[in-house]
Amino acid sequence: MDDTIRNCLVLIPALPLAAAGVAALFGSKLLRGYSHLPVVLALIGSFACSVAVLREVASRQTVGTDGGVEEVVSLWTWAEVQQAYYLEPNPPAVEAAEAGWRNFRIEIVLRADALTAVMLSMVTFVSSLVAIYASGYMAGDRGYWRFFAYIGLFVFSMTMLVSVSNFVLLFVFWEAVGVCSYLLIGFWYQKPEAAAAGKKAFLVNRIGDFAFTAALFLIWCTYGTLNYHDSLADGTTDVAELARVQSLPPGESPNSGESGDGKQLIRGVLGKSRIAANGYATGPLWKETNRETNKLSIATAICLLLLLGACGKSAQFPLHVWLPDAMEGPTPVSALIHAATMVTAGVYMVARCTPLFAVSPAAQLIVAVIGGFTALMAGLIALTQFDLKRVLAYSTISQLGYMFLALGAGTFAGVTGGMYHLFTHAFFKALLFLGAGSVMHAMGGVIDMRQFGGLRRLMPWTYVTFFVGCLALSGVVPFAGFWSKDAVLASVHEKVHAIDHELEHRRGTHPGDSPAAAGPLAAWSESDLVRSRAIYQWLYYGAVFTAFLTAFYTFRALALTFHGAERIPAQAGHHAHESPPVMLAPLAVLAACSVVVGVACLIPPNLGANRIAELLSQTPSLAAGPIVLTKVVPEFHLSVAGVGTVAALAGIGLALFLYLGPTSEARYARRLFDMDGAQRWTDPQWVAGLERVGWIGASTRFLRRVGVGWAVVLVGYALGAVALVLAVPLVVAGFLTPYRLSRDKFYFDELYGALIVWPLRLAAAVLAWIDRWIVDGLVDLVGRIPPAIGTLMRPLQMGLVQFYALAMVLGMLILVATRLLWSG
Amino acid sequence: MSELALLYNFLAIGGLLFALGLIGFLVRRNMIVMFLCAEMMLQGISLSLVGFGRYHNDWGGQMLVIFIITVAACEAGIALALILMLARRAGNLDTAAWQDLREDGQPAFLDRQVPEERLEDRVWPHLTPAGSEPPRDPERELHRPRV
Repeated sequence: MDDTIRNCLVLIPALPLAAAGVAALFGSKLLRGYSHLPVVLALIGSFACSVAVLREVASRQTVGTDGGVEEVVSLWTWAEVQQAYYLEPNPPAVEAAEAGWRNFRIEIVLRADALTAVMLSMVTFVSSLVAIYASGYMAGDRGYWRFFAYIGLFVFSMTMLVSVSNFVLLFVFWEAVGVCSYLLIGFWYQKPEAAAAGKKAFLVNRIGDFAFTAALFLIWCTYGTLNYHDSLADGTTDVAELARVQSLPPGESPNSGESGDGKQLIRGVLGKSRIAANGYATGPLWKETNRETNKLSIATAICLLLLLGACGKSAQFPLHVWLPDAMEGPTPVSALIHAATMVTAGVYMVARCTPLFAVSPAAQLIVAVIGGFTALMAGLIALTQFDLKRVLAYSTISQLGYMFLALGAGTFAGVTGGMYHLFTHAFFKALLFLGAGSVMHAMGGVIDMRQFGGLRRLMPWTYVTFFVGCLALSGVVPFAGFWSKDAVLASVHEKVHAIDHELEHRRGTHPGDSPAAAGPLAAWSESDLVRSRAIYQWLYYGAVFTAFLTAFYTFRALALTFHGAERIPAQAGHHAHESPPVMLAPLAVLAACSVVVGVACLIPPNLGANRIAELLSQTPSLAAGPIVLTKVVPEFHLSVAGVGTVAALAGIGLALFLYLGPTSEARYARRLFDMDGAQRWTDPQWVAGLERVGWIGASTRFLRRVGVGWAVVLVGYALGAVALVLAVPLVVAGFLTPYRLSRDKFYFDELYGALIVWPLRLAAAVLAWIDRWIVDGLVDLVGRIPPAIGTLMRPLQMGLVQFYALAMVLGMLILVATRLLWSG
Repeated sequence: MSELALLYNFLAIGGLLFALGLIGFLVRRNMIVMFLCAEMMLQGISLSLVGFGRYHNDWGGQMLVIFIITVAACEAGIALALILMLARRAGNLDTAAWQDLREDGQPAFLDRQVPEERLEDRVWPHLTPAGSEPPRDPERELHRPRV
């Protein structure tokens, strides 16, 4: 049994790596058009192994506090530095018994538990489908073999990222997926936009990675280890051995007579023993005693830094700017990396570090706020985009915001809800992207929706699958998106209810008579409770509004692309036909999954329970500690589901009303939001000309006849004054109408360009000047000294024999004189 | 006279020969004369060596002189062969003809040029003419039977 898991865990990343190597070495000359074969076969093999691991983990899990499966496989030791850091005792994070010198030891260690198994299955499944699709999409491209080599490398990095059991290795593969993303976005490197987009993605990711590194340093200094799992100091992870060491009475050395403490128990950061003892540091970040105590606890610091790292990778505010530009890469890349796998690495990391986040409710609140804000902002931007892939990119950012919102709810329901949404979102977002790729392939590379339309007769299968994807994304019953979005909304709703419950208990107004459960909320202060309740409530409303927006822009994109008059741009040429079967088959499979996965994961009769949550509920890093006291399985609230469905249907209805058929209403809406003609209100002449309008003129004349003409004049002056007062904001609004804010991505790129890029470029130019003229000038100056000396010495060689003889004689005279005068 | 005084005489003449040879080598431009001066330097050395040999009552001095003379003879052969080749190339025996192995950009050493004769310098003395001029017949001069 153990061997199955061990072999599968090693095979899952090893197969894509080997395939990438084969494609890289033999692709350009030998395999050429068949370069996809090793990669596709390897990915299918990886998927089979992932399913095996998932089945193994699911079958061995039992319900109960210690029923979780956690298998750790250690391959070899990468680095070891003896006695690297002295760990101060700091209960409860560092007990007195485990303080002292710690070795820095990094082993290549893989783990198999429920969270990893779910992620691996999803990643390998989507990757294999995308690879099959890409073999059709990228056919004929000059860099065909290079593409598949990069895909293999990427899947290797991603599977290792979710399999490793150590923070340093997580970071290594975090960077590796970033590198692969850079390589794949800039795949067509001769296109300057693609190269710039790749560079931008990598640099923005790097900012997040810097924060991640700082978090790693803090974790090392606080906990003295970087492993997730418990182990002994010499690296043993055997469960029996760990149990033996743990069962020793305190004070007794775990070594049976041997010297050194190679058998000391090192509690992993997310290990079972640490979670059971709730051994997480909550002290202040700095240990200054003569200053007033700072409110920033070390747990919050670690969590915020980890969050910033996750924001960089998962494109949340403020580091979301790279994802829309990353659409310059080939569409299979967008589907794989920027919808299903790489951007979910941030969500995975936050979910994995749930015990760390559970100690810091402030950090959880910030996670939720960032998630909710990003979801809303991205939804607003997606409303007005014309590029189909950009719409889907902002949709991805928005849905990732949903996942962070769920994770930030801080309850077990939230964590599982977020992961469930991640799981289903991978399917329908990849489906939508691949459908967009199908459209782009047929339209000869044009993806601007203004240039084509009415494609549903030209590409019927693409239309059907895209429609299914849209329904799933909008969250319509019974598609997958409905259940997962409901889980997210329900978890936020539940959090509000839980806070309400706690407040009632405190104030003694609880209707029942049971005492307050010792939940994690018991430690919060009253003002904290009230404030966070308000925040979560507003986040809930924002999430519902975002659901409305999601449905709206999704169906807007569908209507603009597939409905209306059939228009085909000139670049399409002879491409304008349905895609080949090798591209349609993955679309069909993903569409089937989007329909079925939600329903398949249900566990009736409780419609709120799902198999994913059940599976994840026993993940050891999630199944213990304070978080388990929160609701394990969210109940199905009809109100939440109903509100969500109403929002989705309203969005769909509005989008179809505006964009099906003649789009005059849409144009009117655009003019309204662009505040076209709002300038008129600041023009007093025009305001005075209002008198010509029928009913205003008639009423004015009537009032004048009655003798209240002075009132008319007063009203006129009042309107003029209002116009003058409004002049300034409206003039500003002339540049910043809501429509323009949405269309131009809230000017984030320009803001960052002015604040960050421009000063850096200036500094770089100054330094380049210094380097060229001052540093190089000094070096050149030193370099010019020998020629100068040479120019002085050159006249000595004049070609006359007698001059040389004279020089010899003079030299001899100097020698003789020196000898005579100074000897003695 | 004493041995020391004899030695001084030897050294004086030897030194004189050497100095003359050195100065001659440095000053003269004729290749054969430069070579002769070099030989004279060698002879001066030989004389000094003989004098020292006599002073210290050591035959080594004279022995070395025999060597020097032999070597000088060989060197003469080689040097004159080289001078012959150089002279054939240049057409004259001037060392200043062979200064092309100088550094780039250095000007060549040129002899001071004799200034061109000016037309107004072409004045020769004239004797006052004596006698009387015979009568001239231009027509007869036109048709001269014998030229």
